[in-house]
Amino acid sequence: MPVDVAELAIDEASLPVLLALGEVLELGVVALDRDLVVREWNRWMAAASDIPSAEMVGQPLLERFDALRGGPAEAALRRALDGATTVWAHRFHRFLLPIPAPAGYERFDRMQQSARIMPTSRAGEFDGVLVLVQDVTERVAREEELRDAVQRAEGASQAKSEFLASMSHELRTPLAAVIGYMDLLEGGMVGPVAPQQQVFLGRVKAAATHLMSIIEEILTFARVDAGKEEAYWEELDAVALARGVEELLEPQALNKGLALELALPPGAVRMTTDGTKLRQILINLVGNALKFTDTGRVRLEVDATESEMRFCVQDTGPGISPADMTRVFDPFTQVDQSLKRRKGGTGLGLPVSRRLAELLGGALTVESTVGEGTAFTLRLPRSVAPATPPAS
Amino acid sequence: MKIEDLDLDALTELFNIGLHRAAASLSELTGQRILVDLPRLWVCPIEETHARLTELLHGDLATVHQIFRGTVAGDAVLVLQYDAAARLAGLLTSGEVAVGGRLDQSAREVLAEIGNVILSSCLSSFGDMLRVAVSFSVPHIHVESLDGMLRSLQVGNEDLQFALLAATQFRLSEGEVGGYLIVAVGMSSLSIISDALASGAP
Repeated sequence: MPVDVAELAIDEASLPVLLALGEVLELGVVALDRDLVVREWNRWMAAASDIPSAEMVGQPLLERFDALRGGPAEAALRRALDGATTVWAHRFHRFLLPIPAPAGYERFDRMQQSARIMPTSRAGEFDGVLVLVQDVTERVAREEELRDAVQRAEGASQAKSEFLASMSHELRTPLAAVIGYMDLLEGGMVGPVAPQQQVFLGRVKAAATHLMSIIEEILTFARVDAGKEEAYWEELDAVALARGVEELLEPQALNKGLALELALPPGAVRMTTDGTKLRQILINLVGNALKFTDTGRVRLEVDATESEMRFCVQDTGPGISPADMTRVFDPFTQVDQSLKRRKGGTGLGLPVSRRLAELLGGALTVESTVGEGTAFTLRLPRSVAPATPPAS
Repeated sequence: MKIEDLDLDALTELFNIGLHRAAASLSELTGQRILVDLPRLWVCPIEETHARLTELLHGDLATVHQIFRGTVAGDAVLVLQYDAAARLAGLLTSGEVAVGGRLDQSAREVLAEIGNVILSSCLSSFGDMLRVAVSFSVPHIHVESLDGMLRSLQVGNEDLQFALLAATQFRLSEGEVGGYLIVAVGMSSLSIISDALASGAP
């Protein structure tokens, strides 16, 4: 069966149309005969190469561009004479025809090109080669700038995490000594402490302990951000854990005159998770709710299905505007900067909580209505197939 | 002829020869050692292709089509899952294209050239076996669904059409990516291939 050339090759009769299209689409169109002598060199090619058509037409392409001889370009041109098409991707070849880079892109020594090299036909026979050349210099420059920007951003992000981790560690060590010696002084280990001194020592210790908790939060964030935080799986009672969180934070609620409510299923609910991290998330959520709620209540609700645990922390605080909802889980962000100044904190509690939730195979979501309050919902699987086996 | 008459071992060997050629060309092109394996080959009527592939391919696919004409004629397609295509383009260019897993314009060009090399190597090995020239069209890259890809196959007007389905595996030092080759042909082309295989080629 003869090869149906018409389906595979560009018929000579189509060449004028292609040459015209090349001008419109800003494509170089070069037609060669069986001896690879230039038959057509469109105006776009003439302008891009600064070689007039009159000079190119009739000239063997490999004589004009000697660098093409013996290489993949000549092989592709000769394959086209046998009916084969070649895709010439910029990424692998940089360019096909060694012509100057366009103005403004002189840092490339040549115009960066993609090309198609395909057969042409006349009267049902392959009789030459058509080369379509596309200038991709601008695109390549843009892609290089984008890659550089991504690399710079990744480098900066890693440097930030490493800085946070090392600085937090350096701060924690002397602070631990400060708190330790404070305990010794407060306990009268080095002599009697007057009542007024006792009060002052208590305040210093409270401030140091608060500072320590902030440093711990930054350290956790840096570890989670760097992907270095690991989960240690254990089986536990989710109801008992929720009660423990309520007992821990009840004094804070009483101090502000808020009701801290618990809504729990009857009896124990067993689940497999990392208890320390789950406790940390719930303390963050309930602690946050207490911090930002001035009147009313904070409610921790726990329920379970066969496969999932749901922890919901609702408050009657100021709520979060729709515009700010997209940023609540961004690190170092508190949606209302005036509140941040008033309430303090690192702005890391929620991002850390969300990332810990993901580490435990779950998700943390938020719903809020301005003026009515906010509800954070943590969903976790009741049993996980951990990469590391449950701690014995 | 019946599908059962086809010498599948010989056909597998034919694909293997094509893929080895493709691997050598890709290694030369990219400057890194690349192996292209053929883990499995099926031949089935084209209407069964959907049922076979639907278990293996999901969501968007990146495909490179090349129609071929000559003593045997049909449509050859390299089929990759979208994410696998982005990964392959990234691996072959040391991460310079498909940044963020997106098949950007440069990644599509890279895939078009890879597809061109693989498909034309395999089709040439058919041509060598049959001792005739098999010519192929400009490759086209598409992002499409499995249904869309199967609908677009250009086999010709023959009533009975068949698909040679080959699972492939690209092995690079940095990782592996799986994909599929589909060579869709009509009954007359399949008969020619079958006869050539039976006569002792390749």
